[in-house]
Amino acid sequence: MLDLLLQTGLNALYSASYISLVAVGLVLIFGVMGIVNFAHGELFMAGAYVVVALYSGFKLPYLLVAAIGLIFVGCLGLLMERTMFRPLRTNPLGGLVASIGFLMILQALASMTFGVRMAFVPPVTQEVIEFSERVRLPVQRLYVILAAFGFLTLLWLFLTKTRFGWALRASAQDPEAAALQGISINQTAKIAMFIGAALAGIAGVLTAPLISVNPHMGHSVIIAAFIVAIVGGVGSLEGAVVASVAYAFVHTFVTTFFDGVIADITGLSLMLIVLIIKPTGLFGTADRA
Amino acid sequence: MSAPLLQVRNLTKRFGGLTAVDGLSFDVRKGTIHGLIGPNGAGKTTTFNMISGFYKPTEGDIVLREESISGLMMHEVAHRGVVRTFQHSTLFAEMTVLENVVVGTHMEFPPSIWNALTGQDAHDRRGAEAKAHEALEFFGLLAFQHSLAGDLPHGHQRALGMAVALACRPDIMLLDEPFTGMNPEETSRMMELMNKLRSSGLTLLLVEHDMHAIMGLCDNITCMSFGKFLAEGGPQEIRNHPDVIEAYLGGARHVA
Amino acid sequence: MRNFLIWLIVAAGLIALPHTLSFSLQEILVFLVINVLLVVSYRLLTLTGEWSLGHVVIMGVGAYTSALMTKRLGVYVPVSMIMGALMAGFVAFLLSFPLFRMKGFYFLIGSFASAEIIRLLWKRFREPFGGPKGLKRIDSLADINIGPIQVDFFEPVAYYYFALIVVAVCLWILWRIEKSLVGLTFHAVHWQDKLAQASGVDLRRYRTLAFVLASSFAGLSGALLAHYIGTINPNSFDVELMVFVLTWAIVGGTATFYGPILGCVVLTLLNEVVLREMGFQQMRPLIYGAIMIGSILFLPDGLESLVKRAMAAWKRRSTPAAEPGKESA
Repeated sequence: MLDLLLQTGLNALYSASYISLVAVGLVLIFGVMGIVNFAHGELFMAGAYVVVALYSGFKLPYLLVAAIGLIFVGCLGLLMERTMFRPLRTNPLGGLVASIGFLMILQALASMTFGVRMAFVPPVTQEVIEFSERVRLPVQRLYVILAAFGFLTLLWLFLTKTRFGWALRASAQDPEAAALQGISINQTAKIAMFIGAALAGIAGVLTAPLISVNPHMGHSVIIAAFIVAIVGGVGSLEGAVVASVAYAFVHTFVTTFFDGVIADITGLSLMLIVLIIKPTGLFGTADRA
Repeated sequence: MSAPLLQVRNLTKRFGGLTAVDGLSFDVRKGTIHGLIGPNGAGKTTTFNMISGFYKPTEGDIVLREESISGLMMHEVAHRGVVRTFQHSTLFAEMTVLENVVVGTHMEFPPSIWNALTGQDAHDRRGAEAKAHEALEFFGLLAFQHSLAGDLPHGHQRALGMAVALACRPDIMLLDEPFTGMNPEETSRMMELMNKLRSSGLTLLLVEHDMHAIMGLCDNITCMSFGKFLAEGGPQEIRNHPDVIEAYLGGARHVA
Repeated sequence: MRNFLIWLIVAAGLIALPHTLSFSLQEILVFLVINVLLVVSYRLLTLTGEWSLGHVVIMGVGAYTSALMTKRLGVYVPVSMIMGALMAGFVAFLLSFPLFRMKGFYFLIGSFASAEIIRLLWKRFREPFGGPKGLKRIDSLADINIGPIQVDFFEPVAYYYFALIVVAVCLWILWRIEKSLVGLTFHAVHWQDKLAQASGVDLRRYRTLAFVLASSFAGLSGALLAHYIGTINPNSFDVELMVFVLTWAIVGGTATFYGPILGCVVLTLLNEVVLREMGFQQMRPLIYGAIMIGSILFLPDGLESLVKRAMAAWKRRSTPAAEPGKESA
C-alpha cells in the first residue's frame, strides 16, 4: 500500500509539472491581456508535434529540438498576438472566439500534416530509477519534473528581477496605470504571449515521448489548465503552481483508486466549488471579467 | 412639519480598514428637497449607495416610514418607493427614449410571459406607454421618444435618467449629482423641474457638488466630512456654518 | 397584407425546398432546422448578458430525457419531447443557483464545468445513460397510416416537415416574448443591469427566467435531434458542437432575432455544402476557423449588420423623405 501511494505520488508530481507549465502561461496571458486563450492546449500540441517532426522524423538531437520547439511555439504566440489579440483588445469575447478559430486551424494543420492517428515518438531514454520493486520513476519523467521546475524558476526570476518582468506584472495589475507609466501595452502583450505560448510549447515538447501525440491532445490539458487557473485564482501565477500540484495529486489519486472519469468529475467539481465560494479563485485578487 | 419619511441612523460603512461613512444620522421629511453635501471623499456617494441598496451598510439602520430597508437589494428598495438615478449618463443607450422610460414602469406593469403569448399584454403595454409619455412630457422629452437614448445630447440624457426614475412613481427620488456637466441654463431649468416635482408631493434627496443649485433648491441640507456628520440646517445656516466653511476650504486644499 | 404575402412565399419555399434536394442534403436540412432552434434559444440566453458554454449539454439533457422516456417508460414521442424540454429547463433552474453567483468570464467557465460534469455522468453511468456508447435505437415518431395518408418519419422529408412546424411554433413563441415587456426587460438587464435594478427589476429572477426558457427550447431541439438520428452518446453534445453554436451566434450577430439564424444557415451551407462539394474534406475545420477569426476581426457586429445596412440603404432610396424613426413591426 505504501508503495502504491509513493508511486501515485510520483505520477502526480509528473503531471503537476507539465500542467503547471501550461496553466502558468494561460494565467499570464489572461493577466496581462485579459484574454482567455482557448487555443492554449493546441500550443501544447504544437510543441509535441515539433518533436514528432524533428526528433522522430529528422532525428535531430532532443535538446536542439526542445529549443526549436520553445521558440517555434513562442512565435505562434506572437503571431496570435499580432493578428488577433491586438486588434481585439477592447473585445474580450471576440478574443476568446478568435482563439477558438485559431485552435481549429492548428488542429486541422496537425491532422493534415501528420494524420489524425497517434504519432510515434521514440523514447529519449529508457532508464528507470528504482526506489523499490514497485516504486519506479522513468528518467524521462524526471526530466519533465526538473525542466518544469527550472523553467518556472526562470520565469519567477524574470518577473521579479528584470525591468521587463516588472513591467509585465505592473500591466497585469493595472493596464491603464501601466500605460500611463510609459509601459507599452503592445510590448508587454508581446512578451506575455511569447512566454505563455513558449511554456505551453515546452510542456508539449517534454511530454511528447511520454503521452499519445494526436491532434486532439490539447483538449484534456486545457481543461486541467482551466481548473488550475480558476482554483489558483485568476491572475495569480503562484496560485496556479500550487493549484497544479494539488489538482495533479487529487486527479492522479482518484484515477488510481477509482477511475479516470470520476477523477475528471472531481476536478471539475472542485473548480465549481471554488467558483461558488469565491468567484475569483482561492488565491486570486484580479477581477478582469 | 410632518414626521420624517426616511431616517438614517448611525449609518456606517467600512471597506476593509477604511471607514467611508462613520455613524451618520439624519432625517428626510416628506415633500422636501434634501441635500447631502460635503467635500470630495466625504462619503456622500457611499451613503447614497447604501440608502438605494447598492451597498449593504456595515452598521446602522435606514428606516423608511416605520420599516427598516437597510441591507435590502436595490430592486427591493425600489419596490418600497425609493428610486435612484445614476451619475453620468447611465441609460439604456441602445434602446429608444420611450423604451427607456417603459422599463421605469416595470413595477406598475409587471411583465408576464403568459400574457405576452396570449396577446393579453396589449393593455399593459398601452398603459405603460401612456405612463412613459407622461414622464417624458414632464421633462420635455416627448419629441425625442423614438430616438435612441445614446444619441441624445448630454443634458437631455440627464433628464431622461430622471424620467425613468419618475416613471417608477417613487415616494423618494435619490438624485446622484444631477447637475454635473450641465450649463447654467440647463441647471436652472432642471431646478425648476425639481421644484415642480416637490410641489407634486415627491420627496427628493440629492447628492451634489454644485453649491449654487443646492443653496437655491434645498429645504434642508446635511453636510458631511470624512465620513462623519458635520452640520445640518437650511441653506442660510449651512452657508454660514464655520465647520462647513472650514471643511470645504480644507477639502479644497486637499484636492489641490 | 404585404407582410402576409411575404410569409406565404417563405412558407411555400420551405415546403418545396426538400423536394429539390438530394437525400444527403435533405438530412442536412433537418439538422439545420433543429440547429436554428438551438442557436435562437442560445441568443435568448445571451440576451441577459451572460455567455454560457453549457448550452449544448442542456440540449443533450432534453435528448437523453426524451429518449429514455420512450425507451424505458413507453411514453409517446411528441409527449416525451415536451418532457425533455421541461427537464432541460428544470436542470437549468437547478444550475442557476451556483452559476448566477458568477459573472462574465467566471460564468463562462462555470457553465462549462457544470455542463462537462453532466456529460461525464452520462459517460460514467451505463445505467441508465448507456455509458460512452450512449443510447441506440431511439424510436422516431410513430408512422401515420390513415387511409391514403401514409407518413414514415424515418424519411428525412417527413421529419423535416415535423421539425419545421415545431421549430416555427417555438420561434414564434420566442419572438413574441422578445417583443413583449418581458423581452424589453431582458434587454434592459443586458444593457444596464444597475439601472434596471433601480427601476425595480429583480435581476436574478430575469436572468434565471431567460436561462430556464432558453434551456427548455434547447432541450426540445435536443429531443428533436435524438428521435431523428436514433442514437445519441456523450460525444454528440461535446464542446465541439458548443463551439459551432457560439460561432453561429457571433458570426450572425446577436443584436437582432434573425442574426443567429443567418449565422447558422450561412455557416452550415458553407461548411456542409460548399466546402464539401469543393472536396476540402480535411481542410474544412481550417477554413472554418479562418472564417471565425476573419468575421470577428472584420465584421464584429455580425452578418446582421450587413443586412441592417442594406435595409437602411434600400429604405433611403425608396422613401427619401421618410422619418428616420423606427417603425414597429
